[in-house]
Amino acid sequence: MTIYNHYFITVAIVLLITTVILVAAGQTSLDIFYSLYVAEALVITELFVYFNKKSRRVINIVSLMLFVGFGIVLCLQVIKALTIF
Amino acid sequence: MLRRNSYTWAGFGLLVTGAIIFSASFFIFHISWLSALGVCMLVLSFILLALRRAIPNISPEVCGLLLETSVNNMATLIEELGIKSKAIYIPSSLSNKCPHAFIPLHSNGSTPRITRALPKRLIVRYGGGPEDVGLLFSTIGSTATGMLDTKPGATSNELETALTSLFTGKLGIADRTRVNTQNNHIQIEITNPRLETDADLSHQCLGGPLAAIVASVAAESWDKPMQISREEQRKGKYYVELEVLG
Repeated sequence: MTIYNHYFITVAIVLLITTVILVAAGQTSLDIFYSLYVAEALVITELFVYFNKKSRRVINIVSLMLFVGFGIVLCLQVIKALTIF
Repeated sequence: MLRRNSYTWAGFGLLVTGAIIFSASFFIFHISWLSALGVCMLVLSFILLALRRAIPNISPEVCGLLLETSVNNMATLIEELGIKSKAIYIPSSLSNKCPHAFIPLHSNGSTPRITRALPKRLIVRYGGGPEDVGLLFSTIGSTATGMLDTKPGATSNELETALTSLFTGKLGIADRTRVNTQNNHIQIEITNPRLETDADLSHQCLGGPLAAIVASVAAESWDKPMQISREEQRKGKYYVELEVLG
């Protein structure tokens, strides 16, 4: 199995397990789901230290995109909290 | 242009399916767990679509053909010259730019001592004697060493990291490596190797492709000539033992 397949399968399994656990716990907020997905994807990406430069670059772009999405979710939550007060 | 490999198809498949599932469950049915599953599929599709760019354009079959042709040419040359002695893997400081394999044409039992940088030629003279002549080959290890980000240091840990990075991350031909150093011998264990060649005369002289890569990287790390003293494959593992010369 190449390192790319190994990486993808690891991310897929972890994200699916997270989904099952959160659903079982009765979680309904999509923000929580997405935040956990991003955190897990970033951690797993960092654990795969043996990617070559090209792979690392493209995966870093995806990580950045996911992190921007996380930033948007966070901003929306902050705005929501401020409007309540 | 779209690179149509399996990652592309899987990525677009997940992207379309994820978008449909998310849109339907979030906007129409209001099912949160199904929306989360859609988001999960979208995240995975982004990863797959990014990874497709990291896959080389050239197919593994073509790479195999190139390697086989190169090995066959070397085997023909070695057989024609009737060389029986084992190759010495020399670092870039003793060859030119990258590590090379040096095969002495005449062997009287003792290992030739290379003290100065050899010129970049096929037939090279390494000493003052009339029989101090040998062949200088570029091997798969010469090119593979150039793929390393930095030159590894002369310790077991650094060599292990460099070899794992090369075999697992860059070449994808093994799962893990383990290095153990004892005096002037380096033992390397490669787990789950996926590169095989025929054991012909060139294999006896130069070693197998995995051993050649290991010897080249080790020679570069230690900055000393190396010789493959043993290599064998058993139970899904490949064992290489190197002798540090000089």
